[in-house]
Amino acid sequence: MIRLNNLVAAYRTGRGSINAVDGVDIEIPDRCILGVAGESGCGKSTLMKVLYGDVLSPMSLASGSIEYGFNDDQNKPVTSDTIQKQWFKRISYVPQSSMSSLNPVVKIGKQFVDFPGHEPNKRKVMEQVKTYIGKLGLPVEILDSYPHQLSGGMRQRVMIALATFFQPELILADEPTTALDVVVQKEILLLLMELQEQMGNTIILVSHDMGVHYQITHRMLIMYAAKAVEYGESDSVFAAPLHPYTRMLISSLPTIGDESARNGIPGSPPSLWGELGGCRFAARCPLATDKCRAEEPPLVEHKPGHFAACHHAGSEIPAAGEPIWQ
Amino acid sequence: MGVVQYIAKRVGLYFAVLFIGLTITFFLPRFMPANPIDGYIGELQSRASGSLTSEAIAELRDNLEQLYGLKGDLFTQYVSFLNRVVLHFDFGPSFAFYPEPVSNIILNALPWTLTLLLTTTVLGWALGNMVGLVAGYFHTRKLATLLEIVGIMIYPIPYYILAVSLIILFAYIIPIFPLSPTFPVGDISLSKIWLIVYNSLLPAMALILAGFGWNILSMKALAVATTEEAYVTYARLKGTSHWTRMVRYVFRNAMLPQVTALALSIGTVFNGALLTEILFSFPGVGLIMRTAASGGDYNVLYGAITVSIVAVATAGLVIDLIYPLLDPRIRHK
Repeated sequence: MIRLNNLVAAYRTGRGSINAVDGVDIEIPDRCILGVAGESGCGKSTLMKVLYGDVLSPMSLASGSIEYGFNDDQNKPVTSDTIQKQWFKRISYVPQSSMSSLNPVVKIGKQFVDFPGHEPNKRKVMEQVKTYIGKLGLPVEILDSYPHQLSGGMRQRVMIALATFFQPELILADEPTTALDVVVQKEILLLLMELQEQMGNTIILVSHDMGVHYQITHRMLIMYAAKAVEYGESDSVFAAPLHPYTRMLISSLPTIGDESARNGIPGSPPSLWGELGGCRFAARCPLATDKCRAEEPPLVEHKPGHFAACHHAGSEIPAAGEPIWQ
Repeated sequence: MGVVQYIAKRVGLYFAVLFIGLTITFFLPRFMPANPIDGYIGELQSRASGSLTSEAIAELRDNLEQLYGLKGDLFTQYVSFLNRVVLHFDFGPSFAFYPEPVSNIILNALPWTLTLLLTTTVLGWALGNMVGLVAGYFHTRKLATLLEIVGIMIYPIPYYILAVSLIILFAYIIPIFPLSPTFPVGDISLSKIWLIVYNSLLPAMALILAGFGWNILSMKALAVATTEEAYVTYARLKGTSHWTRMVRYVFRNAMLPQVTALALSIGTVFNGALLTEILFSFPGVGLIMRTAASGGDYNVLYGAITVSIVAVATAGLVIDLIYPLLDPRIRHK
């Protein structure tokens, strides 16, 4: 189980410091695919960076901590201070841009073994790599190829092969399929699910695509303006979302047979500069009351395992008048 | 594109460039209003205070035209020029050192120039790139900025100022090196080699410094841009060492434009030769060219220019052939 203890990640800027992740406090069970959704700027990527331990200036871990729930080689529990030593051993990362994440002038096989100090015998590792990529449905010849000789889908498979080769406990995937067409996207997602089932590790997947989340995740975390606003089992979140923001996100998904125009969510997220009193979604929320504007709702468990940060959690949204766009 | 086709195309282009270069070298001086033979005969006539008969002049003219390949119409001259230069590397005799063949003079001087200029160009490139790579890769650290400042300080100094300053500093104020270097000719012995190396150090230092600054700045800029690439970030997140990233990720990618720059600077080695060899009295092609230019020694000039055309074109060819080995994206189209 991975524990995020009231995590706050801040960016230091010329105008002062802002919290891009502001007090996320959740527990992620083992062997689960967690989806993270929210609009641009909500703190998804910052959360991923903090989880991966890639905390570089001007970003810093202002407060809080992470317990990863697995031990290092010395049998000590891994925390946010020691996670860097576990990169591509116990935690790995699938980047968004497979297109540009491979070194264009070095053969792919070589890029599999340039991790330091895992195994001094490179030839033995190469043998393992060969059998492994065979299992992922990649031809062995790609190890002798350069990145530009592969298709986008193949390259993304290579990225997944790289990320899963060492059988890490935790894999972070930051929009791993955004640049791919839907057919390849589905193949890649199925591959990730299959590998996760075999290896029993945890995957944290960031995506803008609620359809992707619906298909493959076990749990969902919805973020809004640096806060976790809803967290729970995917089935429960998609069937009965508690937070009005989640509801509006889900209802913006098209469904077959429903020909009515989709409504966007009017307005835009609040600036993280300055005073943020009350609920951060209040300005865009159809349910907002004076209480919402005055008092910040905590993330509380409304149903077993299903959390939401809303004073009116579960209330129906009144029918919108005019659609916002058509 | 197949390997054979690739090479054939480059080599074909190489010969085309050589041909055009030689043709221009042939025609350009012939469009000049002055005829070197007229000048030479006029000089002889005045030296003999006008005592030469017109038959003697006609005979002299005939002999000289024969010697210097100026006989017949332009086309006949052109064909015999190509025949002599391409097939026999023969530029005729030197005017100044008659009857020493120009090819001998150039072949004697060429090793001096090539050794000094190639060594210093490559050394300046390698050192500049090393410093630039470190400055660029660690560009967020203060110490790396210091390295860049070295480049910024050296780069804008004109070469002749740099060279003269070095002479003043290391041959006059602190007399480590000789003011007028001597370069022994003839058979090579160990003591002679030492003398040559010792006397070449000052010009070599000037040439290395001249290329150093530019290479630092250029490599630094390239390395900074490359460290921002997604594959370098990904390599960092894979947990690779600084060394692996700096060499295998940043340098391997950032050096590609630098290799082109190296090829171009090797091509212009003879430009550098001219100034260096005059300033340091170094017995290379540059010094010969200057003597020839001031003495009106056309054949020697022809030879030296032809050799520099061949050098520039060859440097281009070599880089074209090496480049695919460095950049797989060109190799596998």
